[in-house]
Amino acid sequence: MTGRRWYVPWLFLTPALALAALVMWGPLANTAVLAFTDARALGGGRFNGVANFARIGTDADFWQALGNTVTYMLVVVPALVLLPLLLAMLVYGKLPGIGAFRALFYTPVVASMVVVGLIFSWVLRSDGVVNAVLLRLKVVAEPLPFLTDSTLLLFSCMLVTIWKGLGYYMVIYLAALANVPGDVLEAATVDGAGPVRRFWSVTVPLVRPTMVLVGTLSAISAAKIFAEIYIMSDGSGGPGGEAKSMVFYIREVGLGVDGEIGYASALSLVLLAGTLAFSALSLKLRRRNEEGAHA
Amino acid sequence: MMRTRRWFVTAAVTASLALATAGCGLGSDETATPDGKIPAGELKGEISFATLALKPTFDEYINGLIKKFEADHPGTKINWIDLPFAGAQEKITTDAQAGTLPDVVNLNPNFAQKLEKQGVFFDLEANAGDVKPAYVPGAWDAFKVPGQPGGYALPWYLTSEVTMVNKDLYAKAGFDPAKPPATIDEALDQAKKIAEVSKGAYYGVHPALENRFITDLAKLGVPLLNADQSAWTFNTDAAVQYVTKLRDLYQGKAIAADWLTQNHSKATEAYSAGQTALFPSGPNFLKVVKQNAPAVAANTVVGPQLSGPTGVTNMSVMGLLVPKAGKNPRLALEFAKFVTNAENQLAFAKIVTILPSTTSSLSDPYFTDISDGTPESLARKLSAAQLAKAQNLTPVQFDDRTKAAVIGKIQLAVKGDLDPKAALDEAVAEANKLLAK
Repeated sequence: MTGRRWYVPWLFLTPALALAALVMWGPLANTAVLAFTDARALGGGRFNGVANFARIGTDADFWQALGNTVTYMLVVVPALVLLPLLLAMLVYGKLPGIGAFRALFYTPVVASMVVVGLIFSWVLRSDGVVNAVLLRLKVVAEPLPFLTDSTLLLFSCMLVTIWKGLGYYMVIYLAALANVPGDVLEAATVDGAGPVRRFWSVTVPLVRPTMVLVGTLSAISAAKIFAEIYIMSDGSGGPGGEAKSMVFYIREVGLGVDGEIGYASALSLVLLAGTLAFSALSLKLRRRNEEGAHA
Repeated sequence: MMRTRRWFVTAAVTASLALATAGCGLGSDETATPDGKIPAGELKGEISFATLALKPTFDEYINGLIKKFEADHPGTKINWIDLPFAGAQEKITTDAQAGTLPDVVNLNPNFAQKLEKQGVFFDLEANAGDVKPAYVPGAWDAFKVPGQPGGYALPWYLTSEVTMVNKDLYAKAGFDPAKPPATIDEALDQAKKIAEVSKGAYYGVHPALENRFITDLAKLGVPLLNADQSAWTFNTDAAVQYVTKLRDLYQGKAIAADWLTQNHSKATEAYSAGQTALFPSGPNFLKVVKQNAPAVAANTVVGPQLSGPTGVTNMSVMGLLVPKAGKNPRLALEFAKFVTNAENQLAFAKIVTILPSTTSSLSDPYFTDISDGTPESLARKLSAAQLAKAQNLTPVQFDDRTKAAVIGKIQLAVKGDLDPKAALDEAVAEANKLLAK
């Protein structure tokens, strides 16, 4: 550093910082300011203290949306931590043509969410393929209301999220599996460990930091779930809007000529705080794991 | 060194806050003179013209209009943008906030009114009063703000719904296609019979609650708002009976289960796919059905709009508005006048089954001539004849959030999760909460 001015590194950072200020921190600060105002889509904007946050406490729609979002996270996150790992184990081997398999599993990741949502809507509707099969096999006497029962709709959307996320997280796990030392696995095999034992006692502990990372990423995605619910409910959030997620509700509050921008901003901050708290917890868990691994 | 860093952090935070607060509020780049008049000036330059869901069906007509206007006024350029109906309100609101609305905007009164109230558009009574007598008075008045002087749009095209009937499906249930249902009650009763005969292969009607519910209530004589429009009042006995009827149809499988949350575009798809025998909709949708399902269109007959005991029918209005934030409002106004003049509206009505909002065009024999025997010409005649008694039955207060709250409750009632009376009471309570904000 001798002979260099202190501001030289900052000069290099300036373009990136300016861009971040413009597209990330600026809007975020704007949201933080608006959350304490009565701003509407057109007009308003007077400071109203913590009135928006106080309103959240008695807003039944908010609690319903929060409940749906938490349920979403509770189902989707464990599924997206475990299933892609199992999938990665299956396609990890060096078999001829395995690359094609991996690419095939990755296809849903690059497919447009709108297209995927529409396809699943067709598949799951009352006269769709799934109901046709269930009826033919006499598993059900009547078509299941996958799209018109709020609970079933929510689970149908979770299925889409999991299906679409499998390939993405599988790729992350493939990278992690590449770092699992082969000699450790060999040693375990020599010691008589079968595939299941090797998976739980060797692979899982070694990829645990990646599992925490996948858990964090999938939790953040689940917290802001929107498109699946919007498309599969025809924009309604399910009958009576009972399957709305947090982001769906924030959009509904803030959009349109009557949009309550101030209140929607307060709701967004609550969602941000929740997501940050979860991420911080995951980070701590990850650090503890790493420390444990190095101890 | 430490002090310099602290200075840098303070400057960065201040800059980001300034950036943040700069994002608030309406765009204020207005070109109006202090008295709200559009400044005089030469007709030169470039403007943008935004329509609602006219692409790609009407490309030829709109592009033709633009070419003719540009040829008549050398040195002008009109850039046409078309917004899909879904999401248009959000886009327009965002543009209004940012002060980047197109120079001429095509909106209906429900989309426009809140913005009109905020003074986003030029008062066209003050700026284009000379052409006001050319338009149907009801259509001009649709763009007035209650309690506020002025009128904010040049009315463009009008539609007044008719009832399309799939002859084969209707006849299979024993009904005469030459006598389509005349009332809402009749249509719902027939829907029950059609579903009984079809055994789930097709249905009588698609509920399209989001689009039909509130206008159906108005036709049934249910008072939607109180006299001074300060509270919603549609939780009446007649409304309870109507919702109960819908619930019974849904639970009796006379309405497909998945249709509960669907809107008009899905209703159009269902009719085009031969899944419904009756399709109450604007006659302009005959063209959409014809394009997507020529066989269904060929098998379609039309009847008058479904009504209720009051006999009142619904009319939808479209208008062209000139935002104050536009860069060239003189050119924008002249272009809007050109698009909505009698000659151009008549030409538009001749390629699609809509009605012009100019009185002289409406008196053209084209709107009474059914000699070609096509459903389009009959729809046009029925629609034009209905106009005398038609009103825009959707109150401007029935905005997107109110609609979502009300229709949500009705969906629960139709599904059987909520008693119809309780659903209507809750819907009114929710709608009133939103109205009070």
